[in-house]
Amino acid sequence: MHVAESVSEGYGVNCARCGATLYQNRPASLARVSAFSLTALLLMTVVHTSPFIIMDAGSLRTTLTLPGAAHALISQGSALVGWGVAVFTILTPLVLAGGLIYVCVPLLFGRIAPGAMFVARWISITEPWNMIEVFLLGVLVSLLKLGKVAELQFGMGFWAFGILMFCMAAGVAAIDKKELWDRLEVAKTHE
Amino acid sequence: MNEISEQFPPRGASQGLASCHICEKVSPISDVKCRRCGSHLHFRKPDSINRTIALMIAAVVLYIPANLLPILTIRELGIAREKTIMSGLVEFWQMGSYPIAIVIFTASIMIPLLKIFSLLWLCGAARGLIPCSAKVMGKVYWITELMGRWSMVDIFVVAILVAMVQLGNYMTVTPGPGALAFAGVVILTMFAAMSFDPKLLWDRLEQKTSPDSNISDCE
Repeated sequence: MHVAESVSEGYGVNCARCGATLYQNRPASLARVSAFSLTALLLMTVVHTSPFIIMDAGSLRTTLTLPGAAHALISQGSALVGWGVAVFTILTPLVLAGGLIYVCVPLLFGRIAPGAMFVARWISITEPWNMIEVFLLGVLVSLLKLGKVAELQFGMGFWAFGILMFCMAAGVAAIDKKELWDRLEVAKTHE
Repeated sequence: MNEISEQFPPRGASQGLASCHICEKVSPISDVKCRRCGSHLHFRKPDSINRTIALMIAAVVLYIPANLLPILTIRELGIAREKTIMSGLVEFWQMGSYPIAIVIFTASIMIPLLKIFSLLWLCGAARGLIPCSAKVMGKVYWITELMGRWSMVDIFVVAILVAMVQLGNYMTVTPGPGALAFAGVVILTMFAAMSFDPKLLWDRLEQKTSPDSNISDCE
């Protein structure tokens, strides 16, 4: 157990016992979380509507979108796996980015949104289940398999997804979760 | 006093203080619920080792069909070929795509096995059956928790192939039962890693140096 002392922006504190980082005061945390999460949310609309890859095999053309991949599994008899893909690549990033905006934007103005504690709990629970970077690796592996079969083109969705992945990672990493909880607690007592 | 308690600051559980599992606020255990976020307070994650082992057993059982059953079926000009995780890997290797073969091998075969072994090792160490250094074990736990998600890559490849390769009579891909089993393995090992409490390792180390310590009963 350590007594928590405040640290200046950009610094952190380590555990004397195991050496793990206990908490960090990351620079401009709230503003950066809000900016990256908002960008991520806007990019999601592009990612879910425009194709990742366009494949031409003879006269046939098929396209890949995130909801399309989940839907294909559901309609081809692997409903459970399909819903899993939807949860890990569509629902979880949405809860994470949406939740962070909902909690952090009012905190920027020193206020607390109604139910912010509940939303913050859900952010902690969903964080390990966000798998968009794993999906991008899956796209790259699939490209090699499909490259033998047909002609492939990258769509707008692919590039938007790359930026989305960066924004999600940057948004989640911009604030120490303990700092977020501390700020929520302070905002609540000042209400 | 023993060497460890002289060297380091005192631990919370010995003073009736618990850290919330969700928001990590330290409160007296007598509060029952965390004052900040409302989660239930425990000194250690409840029934940690038993839950971890139960989830691991389920994962090990599912690991067998996950590798034996096909994860997808390719129908090319009327001829059906079933692909397992291993046959997909072998195909990439024979094609000469060594980097991809290594990525698939790491994500689909090595990581699930490593997770199963390292969690069993951690449970053994926390029970005191295997000697350990908590510092090393803490790192093992951290890596185990971090890498679990990457095993999902093969499931996403199946989803992408099923969505894209629908070329009528020429070629179609349908998902196989192995995909469900494999997704189950990944999800179960992730839950198993989450239900393990690495603080139990420190409890064990503390108990070894001072046998009268009662922290190990906090589980």
